[in-house]
Amino acid sequence: MGTAPAQLFPEFLVDAFGIDSVLGDVVASLIGAALVANIILAFSGVAGPWAKRKITAAFTDRIAVDRIGPYGLLIIPAAAVQLLAKELIIPEGVDRPTWDLAPIVLPASAMLGFSVIPMGRIGPLNIHLADPEAGLALVFAFASIASVSLVMAGYASNNKYSLLGGLRAVAQNLAYEIPLIVTAMSVVIFAGTLQISGVVGAQTGTLVTIAGVSIPSWYAFVNPFAFVLFLTANMAEIGRNPFDIPEAPTEIVAGYQTEYSSAYFVLFYLGEFVHIFLGGAILTVTFLGGASGPGPESISFIWFVVKVWGFFLFTQWARAAIPRVRIDQLIEIGWKGMLVLSFANLVLTAVIVGVIA
Amino acid sequence: MSLERPDTVDDGAVERTPDELEALLGDLVVDRDDHLNAPGFVIRPDTVQETLSILKEQAGYDHLSVVSAQEYENRYESIYHLKKFDDPTQEVSVVVPADKDNPVSESAEPVFRTADWHEREAYDLIGVEYDGHPDLRRILLPETWQGHPLSMDYDKDRPQIATLPEHANPLQEHHKDAESDTMFLNIGPHHPATHGVLHLKTTLDGEQVVDVEPDIGYLHRSEEQMAQNGTYRHQIMPYPDRWDYISAGLLNEWAYARAAEDLADIEVPEYAQVIRTMGAEMCRIAAHMLALATFALDINGDFTATFMYAINDRERVQNLLEDLTGQRLMFNYFRLGGVVWDLPEPREEFFSNTRDFLDQLPESIEEYHNLITSNEIFQMRTIDTGVLPPEVAKNYGATGPVARGSGVDYDLRRDDPYGYYDELDWDVVTEDGCDNFSRLLVRMREVEESAKIIEQCVDLLEDWPEDERNIQANVPRTLRPDDDTEIYRAVEGAKGELGIYIRADGTDKPARFKIRSPCFSNLQTLPEMANGEYIPDVVAALGSLDIVLGEVDR
Repeated sequence: MGTAPAQLFPEFLVDAFGIDSVLGDVVASLIGAALVANIILAFSGVAGPWAKRKITAAFTDRIAVDRIGPYGLLIIPAAAVQLLAKELIIPEGVDRPTWDLAPIVLPASAMLGFSVIPMGRIGPLNIHLADPEAGLALVFAFASIASVSLVMAGYASNNKYSLLGGLRAVAQNLAYEIPLIVTAMSVVIFAGTLQISGVVGAQTGTLVTIAGVSIPSWYAFVNPFAFVLFLTANMAEIGRNPFDIPEAPTEIVAGYQTEYSSAYFVLFYLGEFVHIFLGGAILTVTFLGGASGPGPESISFIWFVVKVWGFFLFTQWARAAIPRVRIDQLIEIGWKGMLVLSFANLVLTAVIVGVIA
Repeated sequence: MSLERPDTVDDGAVERTPDELEALLGDLVVDRDDHLNAPGFVIRPDTVQETLSILKEQAGYDHLSVVSAQEYENRYESIYHLKKFDDPTQEVSVVVPADKDNPVSESAEPVFRTADWHEREAYDLIGVEYDGHPDLRRILLPETWQGHPLSMDYDKDRPQIATLPEHANPLQEHHKDAESDTMFLNIGPHHPATHGVLHLKTTLDGEQVVDVEPDIGYLHRSEEQMAQNGTYRHQIMPYPDRWDYISAGLLNEWAYARAAEDLADIEVPEYAQVIRTMGAEMCRIAAHMLALATFALDINGDFTATFMYAINDRERVQNLLEDLTGQRLMFNYFRLGGVVWDLPEPREEFFSNTRDFLDQLPESIEEYHNLITSNEIFQMRTIDTGVLPPEVAKNYGATGPVARGSGVDYDLRRDDPYGYYDELDWDVVTEDGCDNFSRLLVRMREVEESAKIIEQCVDLLEDWPEDERNIQANVPRTLRPDDDTEIYRAVEGAKGELGIYIRADGTDKPARFKIRSPCFSNLQTLPEMANGEYIPDVVAALGSLDIVLGEVDR
């Protein structure tokens, strides 16, 4: 293990086609972005209409979609046609530009986050668009924009349920963003860098070998406490059970997205799924050793997919099994519990790293 | 026998003869009008509160089951059916005639909170006005409705046209004044948490509920009037299935069967009683499974596994009921004097299917305990939320699992035995938590008790000699109970005390058919549970009440 700094995907394109100019950089970046975006869209396309139903069905002793195509897979195009064919109902009194922008901001912000995520290799291709020095900070910044979208949607919808959903979204994100980032900081202290390739690279060694099985030094194994904290905060960040409070269908109908239909509805759901995958991707690079795994380096993209989908599966499992907490309980957990624990973890990590390392 | 109730001797439990009661009430009684189930005292319309207070405080009649009103040729009449929570076989009826031209009667609301909705219903459908009622509005029909449908001069052909400005749209009212910083929120009539068409007018302060007022009647189908147009013998029995339609059909049918059989003095063969008991308890399991399933929906959110697991278990008992009755939803299985047909052949198969279900049930219940009741988040959400103290529950006439979850030890199957219950070994379940969690626990434990009852019934039925399998008593083709006989009889439905008041007028159809719906009374307690709590707690409280709008609105 331990490879030379990998060539980013746009750089690879520039080299391969010999288009070493500003224009060439732009074109290569756009092609790279298109590839990454399509991977993510494909994830969401499979997850939304098909995988989610199948997973939920497996948890609840049902069969779910199996009428169209093998394993019901053709439900994906069918659902796409169906959802786009629906009428877009625009309620009276909505705050127009804001109301229209909200469903675009949500998926866009989550997609932007993927620009700095190293997604592993397929053969010679290293699927990684950019590797700025402050990559980890950037990805959290992108992920946080989602809350803005929820507030926009909640406030602009001219609906009390939406408003409640929007308010809940803000309260929830304030309560969880800080513990999330502070916990991520403890990883930064370990790795000594904010650059995501650096964080991933720092997890390539072997932590300990037990009976011939070597456990990699993923931060999930180095600091399981921080991992659990981060996982919990991440569930709140992406708004899934037990923290699906901004939507809470049995309480406030559908929260901020109550008034959205047709394409806007699809965009919101797309945004939610991309956000789950982004949450999984952040978890993967910070705690699960990025795209590393057994086997040759050239198939590491598979490991990335496995880890991100593993996280997706986890969210669906939580959804099937765990009750939802109340908003005041969530805020209490966030500010009185998680925040304190995450700072304790940060200080402890700093002391350990400072004294031992 | 486990059916002995613990000895709680107090003044209220002492049984008084009708004459002693009359002496207690003294001058208040102007006449006697005894009903088949209870002595009836006629009083003046301006002494309702005084009479009920004496009966409640000095004679211990602390349960106002129902207020049934009706119109006669020469008068209006309201009847307050009183019972004791400690011993519901001690009943008394307070009959309040009101003037034909000016039907005004004093409200009982200050004495029994539950009278609030019951009197509103009487005003809405019959037209009796209750003096001193805090909020005498229509409850089931729209505010603009013309006439009182169960009164004698009601013209059903009169067009019910209300102009648009007249027709207050409850969703569009402007609920804001300069001072207030609260928000008015309509929960329902179409909302995922209302389990039907229920409208909660909610005033919020942030996420906290300042006030919630249930607005019902969206599913009102004139069930009482339809029953009054049907003959006792055959035409009424299909209707009860449609009150609490969440698979509690046989329990509802039993309410009508019990009232009509006592009215017409019909003896039900023992074999049929055992079948009835078994079928009714299967219905109770199915109904409680659905209550548990939807409560999990309310707390966990959609996609919860608990919902599907409970629906799956309900499906199994539903299959048994289908084998037994031939129907899955509207059973129409009871007949006056028995049941419509014997157990399905081959009997062994039915018994073994039933036993399979019962054998698998403890495992399922264990799983529900693992999934929900032992989950810390679930406990955090449900313990100490939606609190209903026992005294408040009694004052509102709450019954069934709602009352038993508040520690009110009241179950008609034991306290006012009917069917085969007093021959079997089972326990009444109570919990003292008074909160959402207790009400759920009561239902889960009741499922186990029901399973015990079914098992004993199956044992009995298996060994029943073949030549003694009499499923139906001899009942005349046409029933004409004597003129002016009145009866109120209740059974323990899935949601609580489901009672029927019938007045016979010598014809083959009831002159007045009044349904005492447990959900109706239970739903009235919602503001007590919800005010001051958060929106999610209102949803949880509503879920733990386990209302079925078909029974609330009838």
